[in-house]
Amino acid sequence: MKKFTASSALAAALILGALAVPSHAEKAGTGWKETIVAKSGKAKTLAELAKMYDSSSCVECHEEQHNQSQDSIHSRSVFGTGRTAMTIMTTIENGLMEQPYSGVKSRKDVKVEHLMGCAKCHLPQLADAEDSVAQELVNTLYSWSDARKKKDKETAKKMEEKLKSVSINCLICHNRNAITHKWQDGYPKAGVVYGSKTGEHPSDKFPKMSESPIMGDAIQCGQCHGMGPNLELDEPTQCCTSYGSYLWSYKAEVGQENCQDCHMKNSKLGHNIQGYRDPAMTDKAVEFHAEAFGYHWRDGATVRPKAVVKVEMLNKAGHSIPDG
Amino acid sequence: MPVPQQLARGDRMGRGPYEKSGLIEDTGLPPGKQVKERFDIFYPLEEVEADGKTVEKPSAYDLDIEVKLSYLPFGTPNSDPFVWKEFNKTVSISKIGK
Repeated sequence: MKKFTASSALAAALILGALAVPSHAEKAGTGWKETIVAKSGKAKTLAELAKMYDSSSCVECHEEQHNQSQDSIHSRSVFGTGRTAMTIMTTIENGLMEQPYSGVKSRKDVKVEHLMGCAKCHLPQLADAEDSVAQELVNTLYSWSDARKKKDKETAKKMEEKLKSVSINCLICHNRNAITHKWQDGYPKAGVVYGSKTGEHPSDKFPKMSESPIMGDAIQCGQCHGMGPNLELDEPTQCCTSYGSYLWSYKAEVGQENCQDCHMKNSKLGHNIQGYRDPAMTDKAVEFHAEAFGYHWRDGATVRPKAVVKVEMLNKAGHSIPDG
Repeated sequence: MPVPQQLARGDRMGRGPYEKSGLIEDTGLPPGKQVKERFDIFYPLEEVEADGKTVEKPSAYDLDIEVKLSYLPFGTPNSDPFVWKEFNKTVSISKIGK
């Protein structure tokens, strides 16, 4: 009788323990229970996901960096210029729904795992959400698209803002994705902002700052501005390949600068990280010389005047152009 | 640009990120390497009568040459180009001589 009571108490403790730790698949490494998602549990709504990685308080002290980042397309990484949003829908229709083994017959079947081919870079924190958030995201995308077709500007704007409520914000680079080698450097901890310094950080939500081992290195950006097919996925996707080009063409044969040197420091754009749209980048990206002259070309008795145009281009960037 | 292969197999180009894997070729500007392009543009000719014969002569002796280096993320050169560099020159040829 006594033994039975002890077992019951142990069972009760295990249940309580299970309730206390948010649902999160066990990982091999240690320290992952200190991450934001492990502490808060997976988000069940888009609003919860936005709140989980809410970096609005950063603006209080880092106004300049915040304002800069708002001009970068990272701040609207799901919506983009609208083309990103449309491409995610194309991925659902022409990709997932046509792939015989994806498990997606209609939009209602789309889960987080299905969207990670896009979200790995456009919304990496989606991995910290339940499938209900994938559904909400899909429904928001189609509501936006439908509203545009109906020229319902108010609804379209509302949906656009909802899509922009989650993005690559301060906490994605300075916390969630601030550490790539987690068994070596540890998992990014909730309450810590990763950057160039270690010490106290005057913030209630993030009272500590810690030096990130990679914040000034190309691999920080290479997590998304990738190497080629994302072979870790069950269905690999591929967008930009600029980190691969950087490693195998630029680093191997040309120079030693990294992404941050050109896109943040030398350009003086800071956290307004830009590419092909901004003259601060494009003016320096390519040396361009052209010359033209004309003459009376002849082939035997045939005279055909022509203009000859010669163009010389030298790509000064750290990767192939175009790429992203 | 990096021309992606469709599902990393065969000779078809992939278009959407869900089907792009690998490269068929990269037609972009490689870092640190000079790329040269040459364009030969013939002057327009017209048939004229000269000394009782029909001969071809240029209908224009001046050509306005315009070279644009554009970044085209999507669409056509007329829809959404980002013009990075421009070169303009009027190229003339002589009107005399044989």
